Amino acid sequence: MEGDVTGDVTQQVGLRPWAGRERALGVLEEALAGPAADHVEIFLASRVGHHTRFAADRVHQPQTIIECQVMVRAVAGTGSARVAVSDLRGVAGAVAAATDLARRRDGRPGAPPPHGVAPAAAARHDDGLWRHATIAWDEGARSAQAGAIMELARGAGGTAAGVLTAAITELAVVTSGGQRAYAAATEAGFSLTARVGEASSYAADLGRDASLLEVDGRAEAAVRQAARAGVPVPVPDGVHDVVFGGLAAGELIGFLPDFGFTAPAVEAGIGLVAARSGAVLAPDMITIADDAGAAVGLPFPFDQEGTPKRRVELIAGGRVGGAVSDLASAAATGGASTGHAHIARESSPAPEAANLVMAPGPASEAELIAGVERGLYIQRLWYNRLVDAEAGTVVGTSRDGCFLIEDGALTAGLAAGRFTESVLGALARTDGIGSRLITQPVPNVWNGCVSAPAIRVRGFRFGRRPEGRP
Amino acid sequence: MSDELAAAHRWGELAGGLAGAGPLLDAAVGRAAEGGASYADVRLSETQELRLYAVSGRAPDERVEGSLGLGVRVLVDGVWGFASLPLREAGDAALAADLALRNARAAAAGSRERVVLPPRAAQSGRYQTEALIDPFAVPAADRERVVQDALAAALEPAGVLRAQAGVNAKRSHRYFASTEGSRQEQHFVESGGMAAALAGGEQLVQRRSYPNSFHGNTAAAGWEYVTGLRLPQEAARVGAEAVQLLTAPVAEPGTASVVIGPAQLALQIHESTGHALELDRILGDEANFAGRSFIGPDAAGTLRYGSAAVNVVADATVPGTRGSFMFDDEGTLTRRTMLITEGLVTNFLSSRDSAARIGTASTAAARSDGWGFLPLCFATNVFLEPGAGSLDELLDRMGDGYYIDDNKSWSIDSQRLNFQFGTEVAWEVRRGKRARLVRDFSYGGVTPQFWGSMEATAGPAEFRTFGMPCGKGEPKEWGFLSHGAAPSLFRNVAIGVA
Repeated sequence: MEGDVTGDVTQQVGLRPWAGRERALGVLEEALAGPAADHVEIFLASRVGHHTRFAADRVHQPQTIIECQVMVRAVAGTGSARVAVSDLRGVAGAVAAATDLARRRDGRPGAPPPHGVAPAAAARHDDGLWRHATIAWDEGARSAQAGAIMELARGAGGTAAGVLTAAITELAVVTSGGQRAYAAATEAGFSLTARVGEASSYAADLGRDASLLEVDGRAEAAVRQAARAGVPVPVPDGVHDVVFGGLAAGELIGFLPDFGFTAPAVEAGIGLVAARSGAVLAPDMITIADDAGAAVGLPFPFDQEGTPKRRVELIAGGRVGGAVSDLASAAATGGASTGHAHIARESSPAPEAANLVMAPGPASEAELIAGVERGLYIQRLWYNRLVDAEAGTVVGTSRDGCFLIEDGALTAGLAAGRFTESVLGALARTDGIGSRLITQPVPNVWNGCVSAPAIRVRGFRFGRRPEGRP
Repeated sequence: MSDELAAAHRWGELAGGLAGAGPLLDAAVGRAAEGGASYADVRLSETQELRLYAVSGRAPDERVEGSLGLGVRVLVDGVWGFASLPLREAGDAALAADLALRNARAAAAGSRERVVLPPRAAQSGRYQTEALIDPFAVPAADRERVVQDALAAALEPAGVLRAQAGVNAKRSHRYFASTEGSRQEQHFVESGGMAAALAGGEQLVQRRSYPNSFHGNTAAAGWEYVTGLRLPQEAARVGAEAVQLLTAPVAEPGTASVVIGPAQLALQIHESTGHALELDRILGDEANFAGRSFIGPDAAGTLRYGSAAVNVVADATVPGTRGSFMFDDEGTLTRRTMLITEGLVTNFLSSRDSAARIGTASTAAARSDGWGFLPLCFATNVFLEPGAGSLDELLDRMGDGYYIDDNKSWSIDSQRLNFQFGTEVAWEVRRGKRARLVRDFSYGGVTPQFWGSMEATAGPAEFRTFGMPCGKGEPKEWGFLSHGAAPSLFRNVAIGVA
């Protein structure tokens, strides 16, 4: 169960959701009974995050960050508006203010009518979201672990930097359509970089359960890998057989939604779902879904509009699948919301694929590497940006933990190398998929993450193309 | 600084100045000191953001987001601790202090290194943004008209599939107190806007945006800034350009002379200059996520970064930008700091912690994302000092080459050395005159060589400033900052690299 409270007040902050089920739903429901808008939707999203950040032989940034946003959306006639506050005591005022703004918008020409709110619907049960191992991973345990990781790296003649995080997220939604939804979840994650000389290695993972992260073992592996890499050599320009570790593969497939797997893109006639629905993109072993019900990553039962989350296969058995939607885009395209409503900071609301999972395969990472006579192992990519959504082209660089593969084994460490390549092309040329999923967060997306296995791509270019462009 | 708060700042729960906020501030730093902190500071802030953004075919998104909270930072036996939370009641100040102390004590077990902050005299004062027209007092119908007119203008050309237009405003009260006796209050107002058009053809989509491709542009100013943007007129232009780009040719890859416009150069400065000079990054604090820097802590006065034409300044005292303030987020009084002088590195973007570790003084670059996050080294208002002459004179000086602007894609390695950028728009320049548009322009380089190839920059009349958000830290926080430049001429640039 969520929220057992014992000990002093600072311990209570560490152990429980910021608002809690009864208080959150109680206050939000009471607020619904306020001014009479046609529709009202209210969500409370909070995160109690404890972060132990370490570098340069110290835990330099041990932090507790508690965030809370209560956002009200009111619809009055053809007008709608949102008002948000950072504490429940302001929610009644927010309902009144949003209703007033919506009324002022009512009847204005030039815009289509606003969408409604989610009706009552049962979300998937939230068993499995709350893990006591994560609660037990307190600041003392994390700081000691950080110190041990830095000591380990120092023993190998190097350094280590990283972050260990235990957090509690909660989301409560009530709507005038009758929906009542609440869930709270633990979250545990880590990332660390080990550096020995100019060589480095990286490890990271994220999930609900701290006991599954295997931080110590993966830290040891990272230190060992950095120590054996020697002086990094440049990535040779050219087309290589490449094994991407799960983190690098996750970086690449994280771009998929940009290629037209959202309802607004379909509505505008842009991208793969609009233009090539059902077309073969990749081998049939490749399935990539947005699946907030999966046992990996950060499962969560419903979105910020209160709609139960549905599994949406973006690529199903190698073919172009479907698109994620929220209430607004579903209304515009004539379907039902898939439960992917999202409001990012300084951005307009838009459906977001927040829990991407690539289906694992049968191979270990070592077996994928063993299948490459001469090529590259790429553990981590960095600063990847979309270049061409139509072609699926992304620019980025490799970063830590990258090696030459020679005769099926890792040999020399690699310096950072730049690539400009099509993710779609890479998926099409994938001939092996690893069995272990690794999860990483998606920045700026609430509860966002990507889980991916290692993949082996037959032909991926690093460096400039001989002709200068694709 | 005027004695009274201007009308645009008289809103919210924290409008009462230090007299009102003082008890909460005192409670936080007092509790921290009682709990054993050798140093503590608290940031208490209230923010409200207003957005009206419209996407074609959708009901506009109008929203007002408020936030009120505090963050307490403590130093216990040379180890930091931090905690932040939304403010519910007066007792939250002590709760945040207790949590910060608890974090610091726990962190000591994992810390071999300790920091000693040089003592500092109290620095107190008040600052407020000058806003001629309070953006929150502008009638909703006026906001609506600007957005709908811009949206309609961007959609007008045949071939535009989707358009977006919007205006935004933000206001905040920020209070700071420390155990050194500093008591500060700063009151900010920002206003901004944008328009963008997406045109589509066969297998091709092109985007044009104004006034900047990344979140539009936002300034420390009132509604007068939005009016000055002339969004409907500029939306019509970018709509037409997006369609023109669908049939534009691609530049031949190779090397070329390039004049880079202010919007793209602002991002180039951000990625390859600002980030590279963050002292926390240089000292390894960001090695796991944001990365390191090719610049070392001993670079000041010794490292040649660019040509003699390159002068880069951090100056938060310049008003009107998203990086304008009086005190940074750990209470350091800002000042003008030369970062690059005639091509040589001369200083860093530093905080008290990072500066203490190399035996220098902070350059007031510790910035945080509101009350909720730790201050980190972020750019402030970092800009390339203008040179002389007009854009036309610069194009004439270039002769043949390209004039490019407005970022489309950006990537730089974790040492801030090897970069590749794409721009939304580029024009061929022949004998000093702009000729046809070319699409999908890209260029790349290595930071010191690239800045070493800068031959000239245009004069103050061509100088533009852009406010932008930046992500850094774990958990990732946003720094809101500003960069500026006039169009500048670079030689022998690798182009067509994407």
